[in-house]
Amino acid sequence: MNLKLNENTHDLANSILKNLKSSEDMGLLRCVQCGMCTSTCPGARHSSYNPREMIKKILQGDETVIEDENIWNCFYCYTCHSICPVGNSACEVNQILRQIAIKNGKVNDKVKPFIEFGDSFLRLAIGGIPSIFFPEMREDIGEDWWDFKNNLDEIRKDLDLDSYIPDDESINEVRTLLINSGFEKRIKKIEE
Amino acid sequence: MSEIKENDPITIKLEKEKNDLKIGVFICRCGGNISDIVDIDKVKSSIDAEIVEEFENLCSLNGRKIIRENIINKNLDRIVIAACSPISHEKTFREYVQPLNPYLMDIANLREHCSWVHDDNPEKATEKAITLIKASIEKVKQSNPVDPISYQTPNSAVVIGGGIAGMNSALSLAKQGINVDLIEEAPTVGGNMAKIGKVFSPIKIAEECGLCLLNPILNEFVWHKNINIHTNSKVLNCEKRGGNFTLLVEKNPRYVDSDKCISCGKCSEVCEVEVNDSWNDGLSKRKAIYRPFSQSYPDSYIIDIENCEKCGKCVKICPMHAIRLKAEKEMIPLNSGSVIIATGHKLFNPDLRPEYGYSRYEDVITQSELGRIMGVNGPTKGKLKKLSNGKVPKRIVMIQCVGSRDEKPGGHKYCSKVCCMVALKNANIIKHKYPDTNIIICYTDIRTPGMYEKYYKHTQQAGIRLIRGRPGEVVKKNDTLIVRTEDTLKKEFVEIEADMVVLSTALEPSEGTKEIAKIMDIGVTEDFFIKESHPKTKPVTTDVKGAYVCGTAQDPKDITESIMQATSAAAKVSEMIHQGVEIEPFIAEIDQKRCNICEKCIHTCKYKALSIKDDEMHIDPVSCSGCGKCLTACSENAINIQGNIEEKIFGTIYGLLKDKKEGERRIIVFLDRIGYTTTDNIGVNRVKLPESIYVVKVHSVNRVMPKHIIYALQNGADGVFIGEYPGDLMYQEVEKKMNLIQEKIAENNMNPERLEFSNVYIPYFRGLAEKFERFDDKIKNLEG
Repeated sequence: MNLKLNENTHDLANSILKNLKSSEDMGLLRCVQCGMCTSTCPGARHSSYNPREMIKKILQGDETVIEDENIWNCFYCYTCHSICPVGNSACEVNQILRQIAIKNGKVNDKVKPFIEFGDSFLRLAIGGIPSIFFPEMREDIGEDWWDFKNNLDEIRKDLDLDSYIPDDESINEVRTLLINSGFEKRIKKIEE
Repeated sequence: MSEIKENDPITIKLEKEKNDLKIGVFICRCGGNISDIVDIDKVKSSIDAEIVEEFENLCSLNGRKIIRENIINKNLDRIVIAACSPISHEKTFREYVQPLNPYLMDIANLREHCSWVHDDNPEKATEKAITLIKASIEKVKQSNPVDPISYQTPNSAVVIGGGIAGMNSALSLAKQGINVDLIEEAPTVGGNMAKIGKVFSPIKIAEECGLCLLNPILNEFVWHKNINIHTNSKVLNCEKRGGNFTLLVEKNPRYVDSDKCISCGKCSEVCEVEVNDSWNDGLSKRKAIYRPFSQSYPDSYIIDIENCEKCGKCVKICPMHAIRLKAEKEMIPLNSGSVIIATGHKLFNPDLRPEYGYSRYEDVITQSELGRIMGVNGPTKGKLKKLSNGKVPKRIVMIQCVGSRDEKPGGHKYCSKVCCMVALKNANIIKHKYPDTNIIICYTDIRTPGMYEKYYKHTQQAGIRLIRGRPGEVVKKNDTLIVRTEDTLKKEFVEIEADMVVLSTALEPSEGTKEIAKIMDIGVTEDFFIKESHPKTKPVTTDVKGAYVCGTAQDPKDITESIMQATSAAAKVSEMIHQGVEIEPFIAEIDQKRCNICEKCIHTCKYKALSIKDDEMHIDPVSCSGCGKCLTACSENAINIQGNIEEKIFGTIYGLLKDKKEGERRIIVFLDRIGYTTTDNIGVNRVKLPESIYVVKVHSVNRVMPKHIIYALQNGADGVFIGEYPGDLMYQEVEKKMNLIQEKIAENNMNPERLEFSNVYIPYFRGLAEKFERFDDKIKNLEG
């Protein structure tokens, strides 16, 4: 790769720092590639995701990082965020990169599974795990969980608890908020 | 714009007063530098003074003769020298006007500020020369004789801290004939160096015995007749008066008479109390009556009274009857002209990074503890052993930057500077003694500047492995420690199995360093190290005059650097003692009758020059800059600055404006020494200046009061320009004041735009000339 000194390599980094999601005084530009984030990253342990490499590409102004499949292997545990010695947050940076990727409209297959979260908010005013993940979870966590999940209403009734779904008034209020704020529109756009 | 108003009360006062003074004006042709442009004859005929003389080279010895003869023969009271810049020759001419008081002379700068900036317009230059001389005449009329303050400190110094830095500065002072009191909080001198074990040094590709290097210094230090050592002692209080420090030192008893004790150790044998030995980083036990280490000084045992059970067994067995369980602490007052702070560092607490498991796993240790383990006088007598089971570790991982280069809570942003060399050194020592040990150093950057790079290469050749990556955590699996890191060069996550993990912890200011800064009111850095007054050019002075710093109290450094700074601090103290300081007399003085000790002035002074002693306010002449800020804080008008500065500024303004002609534009520029030198540079480089610019040199621009500016604008000045160097302690103060003055200008029905404030830098003279040009342009088009 040719590194051109006349290019403004910090454009991408600066746009990330200006993003609403990034913490104040985030240390992105102070990164010295020490690798502490990667050393504790569960995503890095079990996939080819490497938060340090992701940051390096950003600091080099390499925009291909936005389309890098690996950035979808972070699951926001924030360990990198809490241990970074220069106050950077690979986790926040990752979220901003994903937003850019979504905006570019090229990664709908990565986001689609998550659409159910949004749907659930619109329908019931609470978030829920997308059903697409259920088979794997059943395998990982076990049959007990599956039983528990399927009989939750009865178990709550036995324990004298109300339904975990909010009342209609609350659902309508949340829905109104989500529609007026453009959330619903965005979800629909991704679904297309 | 207006002209000088004859009915202005200030003008009336200036005109009436001191008009009978005999003033001599001496004009220098400066070998043509001035006389080729300025019409000297015209100047001479335009000046009204007792005598007006001209010479080819006034700064020559011949010039001195002529000035002196005229002063004596004609009984001159005041002198104006019209020559080059006072920056070049003020000192010369102050001497030439003897027997007259040196402060009754003023220099009109006809060269840098006149002939050199107007060499294209001799007529304008001549006019300006006349005005500059008139301003100087009016200024000297307002001058009073004042004596320069010569200040000498007593032939003694106090050094706080008895580590390698403190001992070296004390020794250097003592060898220069200065009496030194050294205060050490611990029961022995020696500091951290005594326990390091082996040390690294520049150039040498070898580790040397720390105590063997320390011993000659320690011996010389301990036996020097000019050094008085106070161990077990602490500074409780410090007062500063007239440039002198009075320290109150609390000396805790040893409970063992050092003069009688012969260090036979019988007391320790019978003592039944065992506590962790801090000299071995708590890795071994010691008794409640003990000797810190075998070369410790004083050469005597001591009782750790907090842990002593007072059973009396040691008292009975001591053959010298040296032990007294009842002893009182002593209060020692010390007087000194200077204090050297050498209070050192401590190490970062590794428990603040729990991910490395320091307290969870016995075999995670610090470099300092490894140093003790490898030390032949340490807890394992130099045998490398795991603390958990006493076995020799085969696999050692060192983790760098623990608490350094770390913005997380409790961490330090700075690099601790020595840890790379410490890790390489300890790795080398182990590899040398135990060749089949595998050692990996996990680093972010290896920092071995200068000659240390050779040692780094030597370490690589010895087979020590380096992994570039900052480990995220240390865990334990089946009795084996696992260091998790990314090998960032291979882009690979790795788990390193280890028997022992060594943490290279950061150096941070010791508690003693933080305490003494508070007690002596010395400025600290954001990291709480003692702050030098200028990090580049004044690396050992602090913001308290007479207080110096050396060693790791100032920032992380190695032994070599500590010694260099220690001797440098001693040299600074010696300068003060042997040469004294001559201080310009334009400093604050207190009218004790008026002062009600409200202390407001103490808090406003940026130079920490004020203090209370014996219920009276005192000004330290060495610290005071004469900025005049305290005057504005004093509601009782109890502070005055010597030398009539306010009147002299009024006189200069009056002199600059009184011959102003119709249609002419005059802008008065107030600059202190830095701004004035910058303007000199404009002349030296023959850059042009608008003829309206008249520069007045003041001691501090803060001394130019709103009343001066209003008076100038009401009496003919078309604009006032104030410049200040942003590095000046008063810069922000002056900047803040500008808005208030502009409001006052508006209240007086004048355009506040006529006042301009700007920063000045000596090399940026062209920029300043442009600023003058722009301001002149702006004033030209201004209404009201």
